[in-house]
Amino acid sequence: MLSRVADSLYWLDRYMERTDAMIRVLRTNYVLSFDDSLNTPSSSRQLLNIFGYLSEEKLQELEKDNTATMRFLITDVSNPNSLRAIIAKARENARGAQDHITKEVWEQVNQVYHQVNDPSMEKRLEAETLKVIDQLTEYITLYYGVTASTMPRGNGWNLMNTGKFIERCLLTIDIARQHLGVIEYKLDETRDILYWRNLLLSLSGYELHLKTYRTRNHDWNVVDQVLFNPNFTRSVRYSLQKIKGYLTKIVEHNNPEGKELLWNQFGRMLSRIEYADMEQVKHEKLEEFLRHTRNDMVNFHLLLGKSFFSYH
Amino acid sequence: MRMTGNALLEQYKTGPGLWDEMCNNGVIRPEYRHIAQTLTESLVESLHYKDRLAGELFMNQGITFTVYSDDEGIERIFPFDIIPRIITGKEWDKVELGIKQRIKALNLFLKDIYSERQILNDKIVPAELIASCPEYTREVFGIRPAHDIYVHISGIDLIRSESGQFYILEDNLRTPSGVSYMLENREVTKRIFPGLLGANNVRMVSNYPLILHQNLLALAPRHVSNPTVVLLTPGVFNSAYYEHTFLARQMGIPLVEARDLMVMNHRVYMKTTQGLQLVHVIYRRVDDIFLDPLSFKSDSILGVPGLISAYRKGNVALVNAPGNGVADDKAVYAYVPSMIRYYLNEEPILPNVPTYQLIDQGARDYVFHNINNMVIKKTNQSGGYGMLMGNKTTDEEVELFKHEVEKDPRNFIAQPIIKLSTVPCFIDGQLKSRHVDLRPYALCGPNGIDIVPGGLTRVALREGSLVVNSSQGGGSKDTWVVDLNLNEE
Repeated sequence: MLSRVADSLYWLDRYMERTDAMIRVLRTNYVLSFDDSLNTPSSSRQLLNIFGYLSEEKLQELEKDNTATMRFLITDVSNPNSLRAIIAKARENARGAQDHITKEVWEQVNQVYHQVNDPSMEKRLEAETLKVIDQLTEYITLYYGVTASTMPRGNGWNLMNTGKFIERCLLTIDIARQHLGVIEYKLDETRDILYWRNLLLSLSGYELHLKTYRTRNHDWNVVDQVLFNPNFTRSVRYSLQKIKGYLTKIVEHNNPEGKELLWNQFGRMLSRIEYADMEQVKHEKLEEFLRHTRNDMVNFHLLLGKSFFSYH
Repeated sequence: MRMTGNALLEQYKTGPGLWDEMCNNGVIRPEYRHIAQTLTESLVESLHYKDRLAGELFMNQGITFTVYSDDEGIERIFPFDIIPRIITGKEWDKVELGIKQRIKALNLFLKDIYSERQILNDKIVPAELIASCPEYTREVFGIRPAHDIYVHISGIDLIRSESGQFYILEDNLRTPSGVSYMLENREVTKRIFPGLLGANNVRMVSNYPLILHQNLLALAPRHVSNPTVVLLTPGVFNSAYYEHTFLARQMGIPLVEARDLMVMNHRVYMKTTQGLQLVHVIYRRVDDIFLDPLSFKSDSILGVPGLISAYRKGNVALVNAPGNGVADDKAVYAYVPSMIRYYLNEEPILPNVPTYQLIDQGARDYVFHNINNMVIKKTNQSGGYGMLMGNKTTDEEVELFKHEVEKDPRNFIAQPIIKLSTVPCFIDGQLKSRHVDLRPYALCGPNGIDIVPGGLTRVALREGSLVVNSSQGGGSKDTWVVDLNLNEE
């Protein structure tokens, strides 16, 4: 497979995963913003911090206005991280690798693109915000379904999924950091589970939490779920396990130069998560642990690019 | 009361003195009977629905081009008219023979002009015409492509005159585009008129990519058992990018950009995740001038440095061969019938449109004297640009063009305006007659020439317009070649 195409497939799924996460976070925040007890200005602020790079002045201006925040995050083309911009990037990557994805996958990406670029989008967003968000969710879900059922299980599929789980891991860490940052990582106070609802719903993990964790130490239970729970599809550990599976196949198929370096880097990162426990996290300090894990993942992404996507 | 297709047909008006493909003096031609019957039984609402559905199908498949306004890109589809254009099998068989004959002669011409130049020595084609042709490519002189095939893929533009006679209007021998529309138009028609294709005995077009792929594989060096064939595209911003991806996918070959290729020791490699991989055949959709910065335009980033040297060594096949532009130059076009007589010793089956070389003073005087009936074209431009339609212009424009022609007469030709045939189109809820041309696609391989039946019908959607190019308000139609039963003829 062409290195350029490999790069495009990797980024296609990174952008689609980002879109998926963004829509879920937006929906959660939008729905919870109607709940008075949780309606704090900080929730919009967190959202804007995760998906935008804004000055304090602009942040203050937007966080008071739910509609403006939605517009900025969904349709504003001046925001390079708006949904519209991200989906356009996903589509450009799909276009560049069109002969390596199935016709069905291409059509699905294309439909999401046309949906978010529909001229009536801005108006509809104001009038029926939730409906618009739900429609987008449906399109993304279809994308995942169509991709899973039509893409051949070869190099392209493995690269797409590697991109998807790298993105997922980074997003989980970023979203968790925003929520934990608000309480300055102080996790020893007793908080109600409702306090964590925003974070857990944003990661699709609320139901699993209720079913899995019985003790009332919600703060640390949430951290455990987000970092280590092997059954939680958005935990850091789950993402790394998935990457391991796809990376094994990619290396087997391509046998790149410097594969030992790549494995060493990945192995260190995986071991750090697999063999860590809460005592270790407390010892290292949670903030530092998350920062360290994130940096490891970014470095792994760079090394991956060097091994497979860089042009000779 | 809801309007039915019957009323639509009754209201359909054809232009006086024009050849309408559906109606002959108010009577529906036999090949259109089935479709006319379907229209009669349809409600106008259902035709509107089909029209919308076709638009959505094109849009969702990304068969679009981008229009930029206020720095914002808006995606548009190439207009598609839902009513198919129909040609009978009998008419088509003659067209097919005529095109095959023409491609054969043009191939021999290209082989000759880049080697012995007998046709110039024998003064069949004036040497100064070739010497002054900007598309004559000295860099490929003496190169013999595999099987002596230069024109692997061509799109020959045909028009039908007032009498129904097919004329060759233009040969496109470089990187003709539009074949994906021919194939996609058929797929869309299957969706919007299910059952009609079978009922009409329409000849199949879908084997085009398979024939092309077979031909491309046959061009690889003989000792290679499993050759690598790629399609070279200028990139995602090219207006024909959709077609490039479509063909690559249909043939199952990699779609590469120049940055994916490199030349080492006169061999072409592509950069893959497994390292460098040798490339044997390149179906390039990049114009000659951009193909190799070492041989042609030095600042081209769409090309691969050293590609022509690898081609010269026979290590890679290029499809179409570089240098073909000399054979589809509009001034050389006038000599194609002579080429057919010279190389094949046959009379041309399909006539050319009469063409005046404006380098000749007498022809110039005649053309400007009869400008109202003439179209003047620049020899090196296409897409409906660089053209003056004498019947739709002002005196100032004529003067301006005259001045341009006098400055460089070699670069202009003139032809009498031929009123293209018309077909019914579904526009604004009515059937309206619009002018069309026809571009069949011919594939030339070691086993001969294949032409899929039909081709792309381009339609001038503006009322009265004779310009069918998509860049100038043109659209397209599905083209059916139907075999009539004996009792229908």
